[in-house]
Amino acid sequence: MSAETDGQVPAAEQHSRRSGPLVAVTRWLENLGETAFAYLLLTPVFLLLGSIALYPLLRTFELSLYANVLGAGEPEFVGFQNYVEMFTGARNADFPGSTTFLPATETSSSFPFIHVDGWLRSALIVTLLFTVVSVFFETIIGFGQALVLDQEFRGRRWVRAAIIIPWAIPIVIQGMIFYLMFHPSTGFLTPYLSSIGLVAGTNTLNDPWSALLIVTVADIWKTSAFMALLILAGLQSIDRSLYDVAKVAGATKWQQFKMITFPLVLPAVGIAILFRTIDAMRIYGLIDSVSSCTVVPSLSCMVVETFNTARGLSSAVAFVTAAIIGLLVTIVIIQQVREGI
Amino acid sequence: MSDNGTHGGHEANVSRRTFVAAAGAAGTASLAGCIYGDDEDEDAVVISMGSQTIEDVEDAMPDLLYENGLDEDIDIRFSSQEDDSGEQRDHYLSVLEAEESEPDLMMVDTGWTNILIERGLIANLSEELDDETLDLIDNEYFDAFTDTARDPDGDLFGLPLFPDYAVMYYNKNYARDAGYDDDDFEQWETEPMSWQEWAELTEEIVEASDAEFGFATQWDIYEGTACCTWNEVMTSWGGAYFGGEENLAGPIGERPVTVDEEEFIEGLRMMYTFAAEEEDDETHDDFPVGIASPDITSWDEEPAREPFSSGDAAMLRNWPYVIPVTLGDDDYPLNDEDDLGAMPIPYGVEEGEGAYEGTGGTTSAQGGWHIAMNPNTERQDEALQIMQAMTEDDFNLGMLEVIAWLPPKPELFDDEEATDEDAVGDIAHYMDTLRVSGEGAMPRPVTDQWPTQVDIIAERVNQAVSGDETPEESAEQLQEQLEDSEA
Repeated sequence: MSAETDGQVPAAEQHSRRSGPLVAVTRWLENLGETAFAYLLLTPVFLLLGSIALYPLLRTFELSLYANVLGAGEPEFVGFQNYVEMFTGARNADFPGSTTFLPATETSSSFPFIHVDGWLRSALIVTLLFTVVSVFFETIIGFGQALVLDQEFRGRRWVRAAIIIPWAIPIVIQGMIFYLMFHPSTGFLTPYLSSIGLVAGTNTLNDPWSALLIVTVADIWKTSAFMALLILAGLQSIDRSLYDVAKVAGATKWQQFKMITFPLVLPAVGIAILFRTIDAMRIYGLIDSVSSCTVVPSLSCMVVETFNTARGLSSAVAFVTAAIIGLLVTIVIIQQVREGI
Repeated sequence: MSDNGTHGGHEANVSRRTFVAAAGAAGTASLAGCIYGDDEDEDAVVISMGSQTIEDVEDAMPDLLYENGLDEDIDIRFSSQEDDSGEQRDHYLSVLEAEESEPDLMMVDTGWTNILIERGLIANLSEELDDETLDLIDNEYFDAFTDTARDPDGDLFGLPLFPDYAVMYYNKNYARDAGYDDDDFEQWETEPMSWQEWAELTEEIVEASDAEFGFATQWDIYEGTACCTWNEVMTSWGGAYFGGEENLAGPIGERPVTVDEEEFIEGLRMMYTFAAEEEDDETHDDFPVGIASPDITSWDEEPAREPFSSGDAAMLRNWPYVIPVTLGDDDYPLNDEDDLGAMPIPYGVEEGEGAYEGTGGTTSAQGGWHIAMNPNTERQDEALQIMQAMTEDDFNLGMLEVIAWLPPKPELFDDEEATDEDAVGDIAHYMDTLRVSGEGAMPRPVTDQWPTQVDIIAERVNQAVSGDETPEESAEQLQEQLEDSEA
């Protein structure tokens, strides 16, 4: 070090240090623009995502083109046969349960490809129904909770903890809580709720509509807190001086909410809905712990239940599920972009 | 954020080089932590089984193995799985398909051993065990039970560990309240009743005793209902899923589906009558209404056992494990063989009068478990030594005492020691009943389609007994679904 500062280092060595590969990389790094440098830092994340998300998706698609993936001998390439059989109802017997959530329909011979039966009448409907109802109520309740948490009041810390606790409980434990609340040996809610016609009086957790309702309520109870946290973050980013101005101008509480709070928190609500929609479309754990996939079939249930018996078909369902989620998410994002959220 | 890398007016004081170096070092350290994890007990032979089973055997089984010839230098570690048999099957399918080297040995259910064999996922013991051990298994084990661990060529892929037969337990004290005595109990031990006799007896006992209800059984939507509880009722009425015992192993698509038949509907109507709260158009005129708890439609083994062991129910259909669990717990009112009775499962029609081969008469589902070896194990010699120790008579009798695992050898089943309370404990008093049940054992279908068909069957019969469908509707719908499944 002292030699360098003394200017004693030979000129040739100095030249080699300044022009070595390390120096070149460092110079290249230092000269990168901010955006390019950010992308460079994100490259490992992209590679990681590619390996843990994209590769499995592509591999799933590849598996969905084969039959006999699990049997002895080589898997047989069958092209899109698994998809065709899935949509024409030819593989209905491979899916668990026969719960249907749509009225029986006759398949039109003039339009034979989509056979509205089997998983289309059960898993797809269950998943969409669960998603729409749970996300709707979670948004409303979460919004209300966020508005409460955004206020300054004595004991706010405790209220915040109480609201967040359900979200912190692991899914299986939460599922067991609801299972025990309705199981005939230990449950106490069935008699009350059955007396007002909300759930079946006996065999409650094996009754499709009762079990779907219980799973949906369990999810709303748990995940409203997640929505509240995201919306609260949006609420707290609103410039408080806007409210001061509104008060001076004589705006009522409702006008403040309508003209300031709601429009400014809408982007956070949009993001929260997007996250929850993706999550709700993948519902599995709660169903498995509260009831069973045979009684409340969801798309993810179809994948799990056929995974060890018909891997090609399971892969096809998984890919279709991913495609449906992708489609819904795209629609939500496009809608949000159009509305400037 | 501004373009010059500042935020909030302060100059960023971490250079890019420092950031990249720090992130790299942290990443490497984290990755190393993930890769080089815990290596506790890495030399032990890993035996995998359900968590409840481990709780029952983890102390006694290693001792019995060492006493029966296992080298004491070989350590044993138990790997806990879910208790549900179907969950265990799915776990092993994943682990073995991924060619994991652990577990070295695993308990496999007779109901799905064939699936592991067909997919080539477990070791061929005919190639690994020595001739002496193979001869012992060929000559001294229950043939029908052992066959569930063989491939179509006769090669052995699992060491038969214990067969399981269901029986009907009853509370002797409640029966005494109704005027019955030891002479009756002795007769009931080995002479099966018809369902009608049994149902009337149950109703009489409930009326005369403190029992809250008559009958506890398993009727939830799960594998046990399809393979066992309903299979027993249906077979005892002379019915069958696929035209009789000779078709249980397939071939799929070539065997008839025989569900929408009178025998099937009669059995289902009887079960609906037992669980119904009041008489209606669907209840069976020949049977008393409401002797079972309506909650049976949500019960598997343990929820069904609990009300019986605690004195709420007069009768219980269940497996032999009930004996040590009930009599070994001081909290329960049943303390010994004077309190707990057992009888063969009742029948719908006499043996041989069923519509299909092997049906009619008292029927117990043929349950049981084998021990299979992972073909990728790195401790094969040690695993084979464990298997050999498991073939010893004293090991079988020891497990009979510890957890009521019935011996897999008929001679041992009839052995004097097996009926000696001092040698094997409380189960000694029930061996006669278990023997009768074993003679009327009905294996479950064991095809590759069975895991899917299980859900379909359990759902339909559950819905029929809960009253959501009529027996006729269930039978008709199930016939259609099974035909689709077989196509």
